[in-house]
Amino acid sequence: MGIDRRTFIQLVTGGVVGSLFTPVIWKSLDDAAIWSQNWSWIPRLKYGQITEQATISKFGPSPCSLMVKSVAGSPYVAKGNADNEMSKGGVDAISAGGAQLLYSPSRVKGPMKKVADGKYESISWDDAEKMLSKKLSAVKGQAGKLAIVSGDATGTSTEVLSAFAAGMGSNDCYLMPGDEQAAAVALENMGGSGQIGYDLENSDFVLLIGADAMNSWGSVVRNQRVYADNRPTGGDIESVYVYAGPFLNSTAAISDKWIPVAPGTGAIFSLGLAYHMLNAGASASVADFADFKTLVMSRFTPDKVEKAIGVAPGVMAGLAKQLMSASAPLVISGSEFGQGAGAVDIIAASALNMLLGRVGEKGGMKLLAELPLAVDSAVSRAELSSRDFAGYLAAVATDKVKAPEVMMAYEANPVYAMPQATTMAAAIAKVPFLVSFSTWMDETASTADLIMPNPHSFERFDDAQTPYGVGTAMLSACAPVIEPLYNGKSTVDVILGVASGLGIDLGYESVEAVLQAKAEKAGADWDSLVEGAAYVSDSTESGSLKFAASVLSKAVIMPKGGEIALAPYAKLNVGSSTMAIPPLNCVTVSKFELQGKDLFVQINGKTAKKLNASEGSKVKLAGAGGECVARVHINEGVMNDVIAAPLGFGHTAWDEFSRGKGDNISKILTVGTEPGTGMAVWTSSFVSVA
Amino acid sequence: MEEKRASKQCGGVFPFFIGVLASLVIGWWVFPQVIYSQKTQPIDFSHKVHVEGEGMDCESCHTFMEDGSFAGLPSNEQCAECHEDLLGESKAEETYVNEYLNKDVEVPWLVYQYQPDNVYFSHMAHKGFECTDCHPDVGNSDTLPTYYENRISGYSKQTMKMWQCERCHAEVGTSNACYVCHK
Repeated sequence: MGIDRRTFIQLVTGGVVGSLFTPVIWKSLDDAAIWSQNWSWIPRLKYGQITEQATISKFGPSPCSLMVKSVAGSPYVAKGNADNEMSKGGVDAISAGGAQLLYSPSRVKGPMKKVADGKYESISWDDAEKMLSKKLSAVKGQAGKLAIVSGDATGTSTEVLSAFAAGMGSNDCYLMPGDEQAAAVALENMGGSGQIGYDLENSDFVLLIGADAMNSWGSVVRNQRVYADNRPTGGDIESVYVYAGPFLNSTAAISDKWIPVAPGTGAIFSLGLAYHMLNAGASASVADFADFKTLVMSRFTPDKVEKAIGVAPGVMAGLAKQLMSASAPLVISGSEFGQGAGAVDIIAASALNMLLGRVGEKGGMKLLAELPLAVDSAVSRAELSSRDFAGYLAAVATDKVKAPEVMMAYEANPVYAMPQATTMAAAIAKVPFLVSFSTWMDETASTADLIMPNPHSFERFDDAQTPYGVGTAMLSACAPVIEPLYNGKSTVDVILGVASGLGIDLGYESVEAVLQAKAEKAGADWDSLVEGAAYVSDSTESGSLKFAASVLSKAVIMPKGGEIALAPYAKLNVGSSTMAIPPLNCVTVSKFELQGKDLFVQINGKTAKKLNASEGSKVKLAGAGGECVARVHINEGVMNDVIAAPLGFGHTAWDEFSRGKGDNISKILTVGTEPGTGMAVWTSSFVSVA
Repeated sequence: MEEKRASKQCGGVFPFFIGVLASLVIGWWVFPQVIYSQKTQPIDFSHKVHVEGEGMDCESCHTFMEDGSFAGLPSNEQCAECHEDLLGESKAEETYVNEYLNKDVEVPWLVYQYQPDNVYFSHMAHKGFECTDCHPDVGNSDTLPTYYENRISGYSKQTMKMWQCERCHAEVGTSNACYVCHK
């Protein structure tokens, strides 16, 4: 029997019929369907051992202690570290994306030098360090030739930088502006030492004047945790919150009462309250009490205060009474956006704490002892905090001070984040050699002559000492969670190496050794710190404070009225002075703050009518140093004659997620000088609207 | 003519059955062998030595984290708690210590039951079951089973299919809603 056509067809037909009773077709179809889900471009999960390691992130306005979960050694999520007192298990909105930020397109992948046309060329670390050493060697021993600015107010790294500056013969080592500057200057004028702290968790009545504790003032994440602990959902409310500020921000929204007070008038508000307290018999055994009382009773009477800031005498009297009848009241003053407030605001708020007998008390205002310096030649934290970088740059801008030959920016982005940003950026542009020690290609790195990338928080040793605002001195530290993904190098290691080459002995050979020494000198256990515990010290400064009545007398100026005040605000999800909008946070930006590339500012209906603006209309805001374009959102939670404007937008560097979106409100902040202290201030910024 | 037609009719039925038979043989015997490639584990690991010899149980190495997440396979760090140096004379241990532990390279174990990435599987939620209800009973075995990799889908032969998950959920009264497994 041969195989003819008929046989073949029947054989095949049999084969096909038979195959229907086998798994061939069904299994193949099923597997093909699964295969279609596994094309090479589909992201794959990484498998392996899941581990947890403690670390610190400094992406937000204050350090955050985290636990980083990794799979097979790769971090994938960051969560709060409940065992650490510094942030009490909270995590801020930028640090939460810390694992993803490891792969940010904005990361600087290795040292680079500027070449022609503003372009950058990758160089080796050896070459970068030689280049830096050569420039520094030329200015060594000459005052005014080297300036350093650090964006890390809590790290021992900054101590190393200040010691290096001292070794170079420079007094120009600064911190980026922050509330701690006003507090340090205030404390100096009140005759105190150490660092002002606030025992928020043990207070039963918290009055926040200006200070946006839930977004930008103090140790924000910790503040949020303390608030949650003292006011548990469904539980007993153990602490009453009152907020006095220019608009219904996050802090006002969670407070029991919001009292509208214009930006920059916190001191008048405080002294208005002092009037009622003094009237009710409050006093303090302080040398200049009589002067203070005379000042308050003559210049801050209820009618004068109402005329100046619009708060009715009855409201002030009622609040003063509440404060005086609380068991553990606490008054905190600060800028509405974490920077630019005058010392006088802190002095006036401290005066209230003194009248209430709350200085050095549980739940009150504390004078925290500074932890011992790790580097002997470093500048003390109090002194460094009180130095005025904005004032220095303003003087460089106006040629009152000669621009330094070399400027080094560590974890700082002054080209973008300084007040009156355009003026300050122009001052920085006068510096012949700018070095950026940044993890990110930010605005400062983008204009620097040399970029020496510091590793990401998860890739390095670091520590954080007593963030401004907390009620006890403390120290946290961390070791790398992951090997550096790119060619970064710890800035401290760079500085120690360069210093050694220049004949400056800072006493250590590595960043790890410096941080360990810091822990040891503080009395902390390094291993415990690295495992995520915080060292907490009850040590406080002794001695009493004075009212600094003479400073108050000069520095408190009644507003003229009739102007449009700018009330900038900072939100954690948008970024900080050192970070732009992280990619993952773009979807969290409110449509009332940014739509497409348009920035929105907020005003109430009455102010809108006055300015002839309506919902969505475009306005041009002009300050002393620049202009911003924004659209208007009508919000009745904003005071009359106030424009609430979000910081953190309008980046010109970084990546597609933040570059060119909105405008930078820092441009229209106006830097002034506080009478009595001489420090640069910019909370009272007025704008013209067109 | 008549005879020839009859003969052809008989021959027409026979090839059909030959085709059916050939299909069945290929479909049930050849196809399963062709569709899977066979792979062996990088090291000849004996669970028995660890379970019977050292009194360890599954969770000694395949641990849960404090938060309930499953750590999966042990890392070199965990293995080094005992195997920092050679403990015995087995070739497998020597290979492990010299080729992986000392070189700080994690062992690329082949995992029999990795689920696709679009499946969320919580070991903690299934902690009430015996490990062997779902996994091969390797605890008392001196050798590791051959790993069969599906040439089309790329998954292991032992990877649990969705119908198996659904059937078990139905049997124990757990929801079979999509979002239970697909987050």
